[in-house]
Amino acid sequence: MLKIIAVRLLSSVGVVAGSSILVFCILYVLPGDVVMNMIDPSSMSPEAIANLRHQLGVDRPFYEQLLHYFNAMLHGDFGHSLVNSEPVLPKIMAHFPATLELTAAASAIAILVGVVLGVLSAIHRNKPIDIAARIIGLFGISMPTFWSGILMILIFSVTLGWLPAMGSDGWKTLVLPALTLGLLGAGFIVRMVRNSMLEVLGEPFITTLRAKGLLERSVMYRHALRNALIPAVTMMGILVGEMLAGTVVIETVFSRQGIGRIISDAIMSKDLPVVQGVVLFTAIVYVAINALVDISYSYIDPRVRRLQH
Amino acid sequence: MSKGLGVKMSVLLVIAVMLLSACDSSGAKNNAGSANAAGDKGSAGATNAAGDKNAETKAADGGELTYALATSPDSLDPARSGLAVSVRVFRTIYDSLVAQLPDNTIKPWLATEWTISPDGKSYTFKLRKDVKFQDGTPFNAEAVKYSFDRILDPATKAANASALLKPYQSSEIIDDYTIKLNLETPSVAFLGNLSQAMLGIVSPTAAKQSGDQFGKNPVGTGPFSFVKWEDNTDIQVKRNPDYAWAPELVENKGAAHLDTIDFKIIPEEATRIGSVQSGQVKAIETVPPQNVVSLKSDNKLQVLQVNTAGLPYTLFFNQTAAHAPWNELKARQAVQYAVDIDSIVKSLYLGTYQRAWSPLSPNTFGYDPSLENGIKPDLDKANQLLDELGWTKGSDGIREKDGKKLTLHYVDGSPNREKRNDIAAIIQQQLKKVGIDVQVEITKDVATVVYTNWAYDLYGNSQVNSDPAALNSFYHTTAPDARPSLSHLADPALDKLLEQGAIESDPAKRKEIYVKVQHAIIDNAAILPIYVFPYTVAATKDLSGLKFDSLGYPLFNDASLAQK
Repeated sequence: MLKIIAVRLLSSVGVVAGSSILVFCILYVLPGDVVMNMIDPSSMSPEAIANLRHQLGVDRPFYEQLLHYFNAMLHGDFGHSLVNSEPVLPKIMAHFPATLELTAAASAIAILVGVVLGVLSAIHRNKPIDIAARIIGLFGISMPTFWSGILMILIFSVTLGWLPAMGSDGWKTLVLPALTLGLLGAGFIVRMVRNSMLEVLGEPFITTLRAKGLLERSVMYRHALRNALIPAVTMMGILVGEMLAGTVVIETVFSRQGIGRIISDAIMSKDLPVVQGVVLFTAIVYVAINALVDISYSYIDPRVRRLQH
Repeated sequence: MSKGLGVKMSVLLVIAVMLLSACDSSGAKNNAGSANAAGDKGSAGATNAAGDKNAETKAADGGELTYALATSPDSLDPARSGLAVSVRVFRTIYDSLVAQLPDNTIKPWLATEWTISPDGKSYTFKLRKDVKFQDGTPFNAEAVKYSFDRILDPATKAANASALLKPYQSSEIIDDYTIKLNLETPSVAFLGNLSQAMLGIVSPTAAKQSGDQFGKNPVGTGPFSFVKWEDNTDIQVKRNPDYAWAPELVENKGAAHLDTIDFKIIPEEATRIGSVQSGQVKAIETVPPQNVVSLKSDNKLQVLQVNTAGLPYTLFFNQTAAHAPWNELKARQAVQYAVDIDSIVKSLYLGTYQRAWSPLSPNTFGYDPSLENGIKPDLDKANQLLDELGWTKGSDGIREKDGKKLTLHYVDGSPNREKRNDIAAIIQQQLKKVGIDVQVEITKDVATVVYTNWAYDLYGNSQVNSDPAALNSFYHTTAPDARPSLSHLADPALDKLLEQGAIESDPAKRKEIYVKVQHAIIDNAAILPIYVFPYTVAATKDLSGLKFDSLGYPLFNDASLAQK
């Protein structure tokens, strides 16, 4: 068990380092430059622009900037925003709770709706309830959250006036964004749970249990569902990552606070230290969640543990 | 158990049905609404009060105004932000030395009077003695000197503010309430520039104390004082109860009517519009044209528009020889005749934007309305001019000369700000009719393509400004080693006019000069002026007294909310 954890941790560090180098390179080669975003190029002299560039350190060669960045990171220094010289890490820490709140609420909705619909549709295969669940699943996956979010605002804020369209204070402002993001996740989980449930239901041990005269309800929920959920657990780990990524769009659409907003703003203004900081931070969170899922997975399912030894 | 799940299922189905019916219900609502009177008047004048109908009921004190901004300010330090969205907030926190009225006259504000030295190189201001900053610091000559010197200090990184403050060099404190500002060269625009919020006066105590972080802890002398700024969420300001020095721009000279203003940051257009439609916020800025039309017919809302002053959105020809044939007058004139700007502006902005006719916007000092309706689209003339230059149509309908195709390299930035990319696409279609092959390049990196490589035949830009001297950086021939202007014009006669305009202190003569400048530019076919950008606000009907200055920035001194 310890070995599994050690291996996971080591590969996690690799993933985090790799992803931040990748992002650094992508941002470096992308056109546009932070200085041009800060000023009106038609009203400043070339010398003043060059000065500003020098002060910000963006005129140094690629490898110097990369080394400087890594050195700082190793010292736990996420740097300062190029745009308003705010320190990056406290900014992320201040915004992370809002993103966490949204991700947690959306994941809860996704898992609840996804598992319930998935099980129902497997049990009532090809009945109206199955067809409805599959349509909802398909909707959840194929509707862009950008669009469904705006629809939510149109229905629940503008037309019905039930819930606020934007903001991030209180549970009321959480409902619509969490629902929008949650339905996306639910779409994936419905399909996953339905498939694995159907698979499990076709296995001989279910027939054996039924032959033993167990109540159908007991067969379904105590035995079939438990087995069907094992692959779904891994799926949920990936899904949390999806949700984290989804917050970039959701937080912008619903004008919520959060690290998704920070990164989208920072990319727009090519604010490298901020983009780097958020990427590194989310990479760590994502990798940690997946490591946890993997470890718990091998704990739930003894076969995995045996395979990895 | 399955019964409970059934209930959840049906809830979901209900949601699905509502999703599908959503479009219908919102459409019906828009059609049912009555026309909005206040909105239609909006575009006419520079200052206009919100909710004319409510004007008679006495302005009620108190209340919180929620005002949604389209993007987030980067800093609330007036010296350090060049974003228009920041200036909207600056105007609540900071005051300026002088105020510019919609008729472009300069009036007192923090300065009561001023004299200009005969050589035009020094300005002596008498300052108000009853003013103090929101942190209790007294306002005096020291504060003015500190504010301006701070802008010049390279450590402040004041890019836009320092450009605006030029040619300011130094200041001398004559006594506590008298200050002399010295300029490197005479400038008439200087006084007007001082009225801009980016040159607002900051509290020296607060600025020294906060240093780099002054932008997050701003202190000025304005009608509202800063409360808090939550990243990406909102900026709150509250009434400054001591305020008693409002400029002539507004009626209420004392403390503001509103208790607080909460500037919400809502970047997504649809959400911003949904927020004001649902009443979650009282006012939203930057309403896109297609929504202006539908919001005007919503009887709970009013739409306010004010044209911004300065340079309208203008397409500049690059007139260097390397960009032939566009360095030839006839070629440019052909384009001038072939492009139907009216139909472009009408079809893209649905009648909510005015088309531009001059290098200046109508609200700017010196604007010459006689240019309006001057050049009408005329394909025959366009074709004739190109024929005269020897460009003949080939088999593909594109003109050729000496084996070269007639192409026009049209550069525009991304994202598609105010549908500028669509303008490019329409012009491409229109010019095809006269045999010009327009190659549109949409780039994110305008800085390199346009301002470093100057690789364009046609490129568009606009600038919000308070003075026609803004034309200098776009049309004046620059020294050989300096950065060229967008038009690369090299016209000694025009240069002379622009130089005179920058220093002429008699308004009547100055106006005459700028009328000549505008005609010279249009006659030269140096540009295609396209549209005048209006600042557009949609607000609920209980808001009244919202005003705008000629740059299109909102003034909240008179704003109030009807109390229920």
